[in-house]
Amino acid sequence: MTIRNLLIVLVCFAASILEATLPMLFPPFLRSLRADLLLAVVLYLALHDEWVQGAGLSFFAGSLSDLSAATPPGIYAFLAVLTFVIVRTTASAFRADGGLQAGALAFVASLVHALFATLIFKLLFSGSSLALHASWLWSAFATGLGAMPIFALLRRLDESLLPAGETLGPGARARAR
Amino acid sequence: MFLTLPLFVYFLRDQKRWLDRALIAFTAPIEHAIVVAVGGATDAWGNYLWLVHTRAQDLELRREMLRQRAELQLASEITAENARLRGLLELADKSAPLKLLAAPVIAVGASPHSHTLRIARGTADGVQVGAAVIAPEGIVGTITQATAGYADVQLIVAPQAAVPALSARTRGRSTVRGTGDLARCHLDYALRTDELADGDLLVTAGGAGFFPKGLHIGHVVDVQKRATGMFIGAEVIPSVDFSRLDEVLVVLSSPSELAPPPVDPALVAPAAADLPKPSPRASQHAEPRPTAPDAAPGAPAGAGPTP
Repeated sequence: MTIRNLLIVLVCFAASILEATLPMLFPPFLRSLRADLLLAVVLYLALHDEWVQGAGLSFFAGSLSDLSAATPPGIYAFLAVLTFVIVRTTASAFRADGGLQAGALAFVASLVHALFATLIFKLLFSGSSLALHASWLWSAFATGLGAMPIFALLRRLDESLLPAGETLGPGARARAR
Repeated sequence: MFLTLPLFVYFLRDQKRWLDRALIAFTAPIEHAIVVAVGGATDAWGNYLWLVHTRAQDLELRREMLRQRAELQLASEITAENARLRGLLELADKSAPLKLLAAPVIAVGASPHSHTLRIARGTADGVQVGAAVIAPEGIVGTITQATAGYADVQLIVAPQAAVPALSARTRGRSTVRGTGDLARCHLDYALRTDELADGDLLVTAGGAGFFPKGLHIGHVVDVQKRATGMFIGAEVIPSVDFSRLDEVLVVLSSPSELAPPPVDPALVAPAAADLPKPSPRASQHAEPRPTAPDAAPGAPAGAGPTP
């Protein structure tokens, strides 16, 4: 495991802890603002990592969500890898170096992620509803906000590890090697 | 190829429990520390501000306490009378005190689409997987996994959750299923003949392995009677607001697990004297039952031995 992968794993742990505890620190009327920070990490990996490494780390990020989800194991890991594959496949269409671009991408990705999650739950559990929930929008908004510092943090981390003269972009890390 | 990775996790789910527990043991104390630290700082600031109104509130609370003491005396008289009559009729004491454990909520499920809470109580406190979790307003969920100090609670609104229900008005049975929406559940298997109506209160139906009987689940809304079929469709608004839970109660033992309480002859005698004509059958029931010698010392008052 490289130092970068180890650092990404630590960021995943921190993101998992933060997204689980932050809603408890908000006043009750703001607790619908649940940011999916692990999704933001997966998005960053999809835009900057090569396939195998990014998929592996995305799988780890999804597994952390699985840990406390009380669903059949693997659902959130599957969703994280699926999100990685979709965004990685279409990475050339996106330009999200951070800031508002990252926020906008995370907002849309969160809504799509929620839709996939609902479809999978509907397939697995007959009682699950296919209706759109207002909480999705709040969650997507919070994920958009949370993605900005996550992208900035991961970008800074990558820049500190890249050889001098290299710039970040899709597959940049692979080229650097 | 990448998408098959999670399948391995699913098939290895029994082998990876230890890993789950290890990860929870690593992350939960950090979550707990964050919530305690930030909550403590917020409380300290809030308490300082509230001191301004403390004297007025103190007076108001004293008056309220006096009022409630008077009501409590009245209630204890009614409870004693109720106990005597129940003893005569040899009814199982449905209102036997539950053995409850208060637990602070320290985190929610990591994903916004998960329907779980993490509480700062675990197997070391007697919490077991499958135990019911309730709040003063109604039922919350069940314990799905537990470590020594922490446990995860699956809410009743989770898509895979189902609770046997009873209508408080019609006594008709049904099943409340989670939909994934925090504010709504779905009602299944409610018979057309039950005549459920909007606003009807649903309570837990009890039964082994489920919630104790009689706890609030929620209110029925959007009752839809189709032209054909045995069952009606309806939605349920949960009694508990899951976004406002800071503390919950874990049911460590329920009345369904407890034997009917032994009848105190001292309580029975005066009540029997009040009855106009006690039948031979009633007299037979009034005999005190022997108490099992191995009754648990920590069992709630009036409870028999636990199985």
